[in-house]
Order: sequence, then C-alpha cells, then structure tokens
Amino acid sequence: MVDAPESCVAADIEQKASRAGKAGKYSQQAAAYRSEAEGSYNFEYLDHTADVQLHAWGVTLEEALASTALAMYNYMTPLEGLEPEAGEVRTFEAEGHDMDTLVYAFLDELLFTFCTELFVCSSLTVTSLDRENWKVTAQGRGHTFDRMHHASGTEIKAITYSAMQVREEPGDAEIFVIVDI
Amino acid sequence: MPGRTFAEEKDYLTKSGAVQYDVAKGFVPNMRVPGRVFVNDDLSGLLFGELEACCDRGSHGGFLPAVKQLANVAALPGIVGRSIALPDVHSGYGFAIGNVAAFDMDDKEAVVSPGGVGFDINCGVRLIRTNLMEKHVAKHKETLAQALFDHIPVGVGSQSLFPVTAKDLDDALREGMDWSLRKKHAWKEDIIHCEENGRMMNADPSKVSQRAKKRGLPQMGTLGAGNHYAEVQVVEEVFDQAAAERMGIGTVGQVCIMIHSGSRGLGHQVATDALTTMERAMKRDAIEVNDRQLACARIASQEGQDYLAAMACAANYAWVNRSTMTWLTRNAFEKLFNQSAEEMDMHLVYDVSHNIAKIEQHEVDGQVRKLLVHRKGATRAFPPHHPMIPPDYQLIGQPVLIGGTMGTSSYVLTGTQKGMEETFGSTCHGAGRAKSRNESRKQLSHTQVLDNLKARGISIRVASPKLVMEEAPESYKDVSAVVETCHEAGISKIAVKLRPIAVIKG
Repeated sequence: MVDAPESCVAADIEQKASRAGKAGKYSQQAAAYRSEAEGSYNFEYLDHTADVQLHAWGVTLEEALASTALAMYNYMTPLEGLEPEAGEVRTFEAEGHDMDTLVYAFLDELLFTFCTELFVCSSLTVTSLDRENWKVTAQGRGHTFDRMHHASGTEIKAITYSAMQVREEPGDAEIFVIVDI
Repeated sequence: MPGRTFAEEKDYLTKSGAVQYDVAKGFVPNMRVPGRVFVNDDLSGLLFGELEACCDRGSHGGFLPAVKQLANVAALPGIVGRSIALPDVHSGYGFAIGNVAAFDMDDKEAVVSPGGVGFDINCGVRLIRTNLMEKHVAKHKETLAQALFDHIPVGVGSQSLFPVTAKDLDDALREGMDWSLRKKHAWKEDIIHCEENGRMMNADPSKVSQRAKKRGLPQMGTLGAGNHYAEVQVVEEVFDQAAAERMGIGTVGQVCIMIHSGSRGLGHQVATDALTTMERAMKRDAIEVNDRQLACARIASQEGQDYLAAMACAANYAWVNRSTMTWLTRNAFEKLFNQSAEEMDMHLVYDVSHNIAKIEQHEVDGQVRKLLVHRKGATRAFPPHHPMIPPDYQLIGQPVLIGGTMGTSSYVLTGTQKGMEETFGSTCHGAGRAKSRNESRKQLSHTQVLDNLKARGISIRVASPKLVMEEAPESYKDVSAVVETCHEAGISKIAVKLRPIAVIKG
C-alpha cells in the first residue's frame, strides 16, 4: 500500500466514524463512494484535480480488478452499446512482486495493448489470480477501436501508484487507481 | 499516531511574502529542506482546499494534496535549497504539478525521479509567429480550424500521416530536431530557438524498451488528447515592447500559432518502465520515500543513468513531434493563404519544456553547484545574458510560453535574475487545473461550453466533443492570475498577451 502521510491516516476515520455514531467503519463512506456508478458497471470516476481516479469494486478481488480494467477502457471510449458477444477474445497476463505492483502491471499491459493495437475490451474476466507468485491472467472480449465507429473519450497516458489502494473484506473488494490523463 | 486536524496542518504553513508561503520541516516525515509555494490570495484557496479535503476524508480512497506532495519531494535524498511550487500548482502523482526540485550532482546519495519529470516527458509548448494580421485571417477562421484539424492527427487512437520505420525512430530518438532538419520538417532557425537546440546529447536509443518504441512508432506527429492543443492566436496586448519586438511579435493583431504536445506513448512508457525498474533498485540501495509514486534511483547508479539516457530520447521524440506538427501547420497555412511559409515569416519564436530533468549550474548558499533540476509542470526561465539562451534573446532573457486553456488567453514572459536566485530559473507552465475532471463533467454541458467559445468568436474542432467540458476554462485557474503572481514574485516578467481565434483539440 502507498504510505499516506500521517495526517491523513486511518486513525482519522475511526474518530470520525465514532463521532458520527456509526458502527461500520467503511459502510457509510462506501455507500457514498459507490453512488456515482457508470451505467450498470461496478465502477465510478472520483474527483481528482488533474487526473482521474478510477474506483471499482466487486464481490471478489478478481471482479474488482476486472471492473477497474473496464473503467479504464470506458474513459478512452464509452463501452455502453458495444456488443462483446461478437468480439474477439484475448488473453492478458501480468506479474508483479506485491499487490500494488500486480495491479499496476496488469493495467499497464491492457493499456499497452490498447495503445499499440487499439484493442478495446468491452467485457473482461480475471481467470486466475496467484497471490503467491503475484501473477494474473485475464480473458477479455472486444473489438479494435475505430474512430469512425467508436466514440472518442480521452487518452490515458499511464497508470500511477499515486494513492493506489486495494481493499478486501469478506464478500467485498475495491480498488482505487489514479490514471494520468 | 492520530492524524492532524486541518488547523494543526496549517501551523506548518507560514505566509513569508506578498505572494509566497513557506512549508516548514516536519509537515511530512523526513523533510531535508523546507518547501516554498508561490501563490496569491486568490490562488491559495485551491492549495488549502485540497489539504482540507484530505484531512476531512481520512484514509479511504482520496488523493494527496499538492502541498503534501511538495513536502514529500523535500524528503528525497540529495535535494538542495527548497522544494518549490509555482502558482499553477495542483495535486499530481509523486511530485505535484508545478513542482521544481534540484538535486546535487556531487552528492552520491542524490536521486533522479521519473515522478519528478512526469509520464509525458518533455511535454511542452512552442509558438510560431506569422506576419499575417487578424483582419486578413478572420474571415478564414473556420476554414483555418478545419485545415489544421485535417492536417494534424488528434485524439484517441490517432496515428501518423506518414510512415515511420524502426530505423527512423531510432535516429529521431538519438538526434531530436537534427533529424527533423534532415527530413526537411524543420528549419535550421527552429533549432536555435528551442531549449537544448532540440536535442539532448546523452540520448541512447538502446535504453528505450521495445514496448516504448512500439507505442511511439505509429504516433510521431500526432497531437494527442487531454489538455493538448494547437491554437491560432493573435497578439492582444504588448507589455514589454522591446522584448516583444525582439521575438518578432510586437504588433497588436499579429497572428501566431501555439502548439502544446509531448512525447506521446513513447514517453509515457519510458516513465512507466523506469518506475518499475527503480522500485527494485530502491530496495537494493535502501532508499526510502514517502510515496510509492516517488520511485527514484541514485543519479550515478545504472538505473539512474539508464533513465536519463531514455528520458533524453523521449525528450528528443517530443521535439521531433512538435517539429512535425509545425511542418504540417506551415503546409496548411501555405495552402490556405497561397504564400510560402517563409513569405509569411512563420518562424519559431521559442519552444519550452514542461516536464523534464536537466543538468544545470546554479548558485546554492554562495557556491556554484552542478544540479539535476526536475521541472514537473514548470518552465525553465533563464535571465538575460545566460549562456544557455540563444543570441537573439541574450538581452531580453529566455522567452517563456504560457499556454492558457481552451478559449482563454496565453502569455509570453521572459526570464529574470530573481527567478535564477529564487526558483532555480523556473516559472509557471500554464493555468493549472482548479476543478476535477469529474466535477467539470457533471456541472458543465458540452454544448454550453462549445456555444460559449463560439459566442466569443473562437472556431473550434475537437475529436471528442463530449469531453470538451473537462478542458473548459471553468475547470482551470485563471491563467492571468497565475502569470501575474509570477510577475509580482519577480520570477518572470510579462511581455505579451495572446488571444485564441481557432482551437483544435483531441
């Protein structure tokens, strides 16, 4: 995890939660956080002064990771209305040496494929997540981006580690990633 | 340890001048030097706002405020003087955007950080002048915007209009604008009017990964998206007649072209690769930083030297990229106005870098030292008589080009001696964002933004109209307040104000 400066660390939340008389530590925040979901997807775009913070979630970390990937594609070209069923299938692999580097490497691999082959996944499943060797495999379905047929979003230049968070609780997982626009 | 409240955090920030605040050591752990922020009263709102939001938010999600990022940079090994923020500062990743920091080349521990350069290596701005006047061009505005849009590839997935081979790419990475000159995409006068003469000599294409080259190959001569643009502008007001005339832009109503773009996917991948490599080197050399995005390596280490050689390639790519678009622009003007670019006096006024690390000599504590100056979202602004600026500009100081935002004014400033002493010869780079992209998307409608521009007589062509509100002037700080703060602080001097009449964007 990224080290937040001391002033912005967890103690703060607990104080605030207890002041507000809330039992669940994250429940209220999580509800506020997930209120801006894009369409039927499990992701949203959060406020950041310069760039965009992707926030994605799912029942498992695999699902949250897949949603993070879709959040990234959707910013470059809106996914709504694309029909993945007819698309081409691609397999993606990435590895890191801890959770943050794995998330980073995975998203970088997808971005690299988009930038060099213009391949956009409109659906994606994480098929294996190896937490011992920090490897991930995913299968994406989609199309080659074509400026005549696909709406243009904006370019994503790179993935950042800035304020990256991967959170897991039983039955719930979420990821925060800031991407450079 | 309980977190500090906003009031407690503010105790570390002291107003130390009309337009400056000092950030005391202890604001974040391990600060080696203090920080200094140049902002006026209007601009200080965002600075404190980001900090307050962070204190309120706690640790779930969120991002680091710029002033914390500036302080984290002050904790990096080898930093000298101060970690400096310019008036357009806002939260970025690793370093803040608008952050300048210098590292002592003679200190074995001193580092180079890709996070202090940014992903878009040598993103920058150039200004091309013409001898055309607004009254001659006004009626062709729409045609002109369309012609530029047709000539310069913009937006997501845009690709070069001419084939580039792997050998071309390697040559371009090594030679920068000398390659553009050989390809007849640049004039020899362009080279003299570019920082570093458009070529960093330590570039070594073998240090650029195949992944980065693969991303860069199809994108040479493309504008990109986000805040990148090409604009046709007119001289609106001249503040320093002598300087303006020296630059050939001394007449109100004179038409200019501004291009803002960077090193495209090649630079982004060079930075990404370096981040991954340095992560590992940091463990080996036991370098500790406050933020993972501040991954860095000792300047003298293999990783540090490899990054600097690859960064130089990306910088060269960016200059080639802007040169190619200059060539395309000259072609578009030639066709439209039926005159040669030479007849229209389409010379490069100057070309500045916003995201770069450079080896420079500066005086620190009364001694001249060799420093690696990181400028992220900041512009070099050297004073008159500095040996690194072209002969034409020896008397006026280095021209500094400050691009506004879609529809707002841009400025040309000049460097000053005070800037050399206070900010390692640096000044602001643009307006700087004030509003998040998300907020802009929710609060503004794209039709409203486009209508507003039209009402002000600005012709516009965009590849993604639905995202145009993210780049609306309302999303940015007031560029005039930013340059006035730099002027007031004495770190650069206002020479000319420019107003856009046609904009093309990704």
